[in-house]
Amino acid sequence: MNGLSVHFEGVSKIYPHFTLDNLALELPTGTIMGLIGANGAGKSTTIRILMGLVHQDQGRVRVLGREMPREQAPAKLDIGYVSEDMRLYGSATLAWHMKFIRSIYPQWNQPYAETLLRRFDLKPQQRIKGLSHGQRVKAALLLALARRPRLLVLDEPTTGLDPVARQEVLAELMAVLADEDRTILFSSHNTLDVEQISDQITFIDRGRIIASDNKEMFLDRWRRLRLALLPGAVLPRLPGVVEVGGSGRLPILVTDRFDPAMVAVCNDAGATVQAVDPMTLEEIFVANVHSRREKQTV
Amino acid sequence: MNYAMVKRLILKDWYLQRWTILASVAGIVATLSIIATPGKVAFLIGLILLLMVIISIGAQMAVATIVTERKEQTLAFVMSLPISYREYTACKIWGNLLIFLVPWLTMVVGSCALLLLSPNSRGLLPYAVIMSTEILASTCLILAVALITESQGWTVAAIMAGNLAVNGIGYVVAHVAGIAKGMWGSTIQWSGAASALLLGEFTTIVLLLGVTSFVQSKKKDFL
Amino acid sequence: MHSGIVISQADGRPMYLQIIEQIRQRIAVGDWPPGKELPSIRELAVMLRVSVITVKRAYLELERDGIILTQQGKGSIVAPDPGLGAKLYDQELSRHIGRVAELGELLGLTPRELASRVREAADRMTKEYS
Repeated sequence: MNGLSVHFEGVSKIYPHFTLDNLALELPTGTIMGLIGANGAGKSTTIRILMGLVHQDQGRVRVLGREMPREQAPAKLDIGYVSEDMRLYGSATLAWHMKFIRSIYPQWNQPYAETLLRRFDLKPQQRIKGLSHGQRVKAALLLALARRPRLLVLDEPTTGLDPVARQEVLAELMAVLADEDRTILFSSHNTLDVEQISDQITFIDRGRIIASDNKEMFLDRWRRLRLALLPGAVLPRLPGVVEVGGSGRLPILVTDRFDPAMVAVCNDAGATVQAVDPMTLEEIFVANVHSRREKQTV
Repeated sequence: MNYAMVKRLILKDWYLQRWTILASVAGIVATLSIIATPGKVAFLIGLILLLMVIISIGAQMAVATIVTERKEQTLAFVMSLPISYREYTACKIWGNLLIFLVPWLTMVVGSCALLLLSPNSRGLLPYAVIMSTEILASTCLILAVALITESQGWTVAAIMAGNLAVNGIGYVVAHVAGIAKGMWGSTIQWSGAASALLLGEFTTIVLLLGVTSFVQSKKKDFL
Repeated sequence: MHSGIVISQADGRPMYLQIIEQIRQRIAVGDWPPGKELPSIRELAVMLRVSVITVKRAYLELERDGIILTQQGKGSIVAPDPGLGAKLYDQELSRHIGRVAELGELLGLTPRELASRVREAADRMTKEYS
């Protein structure tokens, strides 16, 4: 079964101090999308609109074929949602939560739930308020994962986890994708995680989606070129230059439309290419955001 | 409306509040026994205690299941379940009403029994019934405010307003002609005024809950 | 089935290149003989905790280079080419030589100086292994 698990068209939401502007998002079934953005960029609002918890002012939102927020109740039967600001009931045990969820969702898989208890090293008889932050995150994830939802929506799933727990969570997320009918959307500050497991990457900044692309193409298109200008030479005009740094005779260009032919162009123009560096997702994101903000102020 | 889910949510709130419910019933029973103790002072103190206990139960229940749920961020967990805001509102209204009815009914039945038992106090029965319903209405007000405003500040204000209203109305009703007449007698004198007051209170309750349902259904942002 | 492949983010190179290289090595060394079934793209992605799209890219390039063959709907196998091992090593040697030449140029060495450095290294290797 293919098609889109999530489809946003022209979605807008206006708050007194913040506007989500004309969002378009397409998440194909069977893929995993990482949403990256600074704090306050609109990641959480976007996710809440996706879940039907916030009603958009304009535009159309379809999740697993259902219109949101109107059909949020049946849609949520197939969606597992864990957000950073979500809490479980402190006075109850993990076992109680598991029983509660199990009574609601027919797809609950008890053997898998028990496997997760072992992998995440959680004891069901413990009260939630006695758990550490990392354990609570894992508990919430367990409740979402054990019922094998078709769509997983995660707001900062690895934030605040120790490195071992992070790897466990990433492993479980990837295991979800072994089934090509299941999809994941997650937002994260942790660009390393996003870079590692995402198929699609979406950048969001100040209420706008500023880029949404296939990860490999993203990483391919961005390069940092370190040049050395020969005496009398002038910096050649290259497409997609987002940032010019360095100093005087040793400029450093960041471009989002790299082509190997550029090396020859530079060398011919007297700007010897000393290095062509790929960039990490974090560097790409920061460069992208800076250049947009500069354009806005100019 | 998914009634199965509403039922599950109500049961969940009952489970989480189970000790509070038990304690509240125990508190009412203890207070009633103070009232039952012979002696005018015990009687008065018992009455005041009863009022305080039942009002605070109503207030705390609305705070615990609504305001606290939002503050402690378990609301996100509840809303991640396959429900819409209609089911959530229905669960909160009916669930909280039912939770409150347990100590409330204990109080009404208990106090009526006590009043009937002693011949001197039978006349107080209509007044007791009216005041009990008044407390129920005040609790519904707190419930409505908690759900609609989603704010701890406003809910606390409603609790205080409800408190004052009960006291104020208690004074006024005690001086209404039809009721004051038979209050201190030894027979139950049900008057037209009493019926009218009771009807008014029930109407208020229905209105409060109806308005709450309506306003909630119009909300666009649930989180 | 454990692939034995390890991907590291500390390694500066793109992940798909790391995957390609490790698969090539396994084939060249004979761990993965001709005709052997490769894990499916999704299976490998899950094992390595790497996005499906990255594994897909690696497989596409390996197929383009004739190292693996993909059968429609049935997954991929190591190309049944007997000379593959030697061919792979030869390709790798060419790549490394290319890189050596680049570095020589950056350092300003003449071809002769470069060649003598290479000979030194080769002599050392022969001594170690004799």
